[in-house]
Amino acid sequence: MVNDKHSQKIVDFIQNWSRKHSIWVLAYGTGCGAIEIPPTMTSRYDAERLGVRGAATPRQADVLMITGYLTVKTLKRVIRVYEQMQDPKYVIGFGSCTINGGMYYDSYNTINVLDKYLPVDVYINGCMPRPEAVLSGFAQLQKRIAEGRADGATQYKENLEWYRANQKRIIPNWVMPEYNW
Amino acid sequence: MKELKENIIQRLKTNFADAVAGSEFSYNRVDVHVKKETIPSILFYLKEEMGYVHLSHISCVDWLEEGEFELVFIVWSPVDKVKVFVKTRLDRENPVLENIDMIWRQANTYEREFREMFGIQFTGLVAPDEFILEDWQGPPPFRRDFDTAEYAKKTFWNRPGREDAQDVRETISGRDGEEIPDFAKKYSR
Repeated sequence: MVNDKHSQKIVDFIQNWSRKHSIWVLAYGTGCGAIEIPPTMTSRYDAERLGVRGAATPRQADVLMITGYLTVKTLKRVIRVYEQMQDPKYVIGFGSCTINGGMYYDSYNTINVLDKYLPVDVYINGCMPRPEAVLSGFAQLQKRIAEGRADGATQYKENLEWYRANQKRIIPNWVMPEYNW
Repeated sequence: MKELKENIIQRLKTNFADAVAGSEFSYNRVDVHVKKETIPSILFYLKEEMGYVHLSHISCVDWLEEGEFELVFIVWSPVDKVKVFVKTRLDRENPVLENIDMIWRQANTYEREFREMFGIQFTGLVAPDEFILEDWQGPPPFRRDFDTAEYAKKTFWNRPGREDAQDVRETISGRDGEEIPDFAKKYSR
């Protein structure tokens, strides 16, 4: 599109600037953390002033929030949802459970570290994170997007084999369409 | 209430030879222990003859030390306002019980859960094999001899260097020869 290096820089800047101000979050909650999303979105904390709003389908969304614990059964669906999303796409790991398992670290059916299966751009810690922490996470994501460092989707594409191997390791019966670009 | 409870126990004892009254827990609760063969008939009798029309809950207790499962059927009568706990013991090695979902259809869901989570077989149960768990390959997870921490460690592996999932503080102190203060020791796993 643009061959000139300096022009590319300007185009990137404009792209990132516009992406950062329209973060559409897929309305999909995997765990108990989804209960913190309504107060974040409604009048008191009003996340929409940052450009954060809900999107109905994966193809319209930019951000996939993994809210809380993630069972193996849900992980299957989450992977499909993530792969349906269109670039640019980002993942926010929400709560302790996505970081190291949290209080479900010894559960037989919930994953411990989300980063092994999906590329996480921003983690929000806490159990539960308050809406202030969620907004701080979104602000952090905006900062990373503006700097051009929120490249989880690219990482996923480049290291697809590694992610696939991890996913297949805990999902024994793999009946999903193969994803290729 | 006391008379009513005694009346219930007396009536069950006269009709079912193996019925034994359990200890008293609260003012509106009656406990009855029976053999597992009697379960369908005693529940049917309670529902049709005595007005205990509501199956509140079925729960399973794993008595690992005694090698038995205990199934507890809780039924409720809106007329008597009494809950009857019908308890039975199953052998832990080969737990088999008669299916009761022709008495209460909602029992079907409980039975499927027990089949998956405890490995209890119900004769004559018509339901798909899987209930909540998907592609489950381990042993029934709600049994007490199933070590969830061990299973989680094996299935959802740790990063190299963190296999024992120990406190980071210990790793760092071991590397640098640093001493861990006493108050911090009790928090490490």
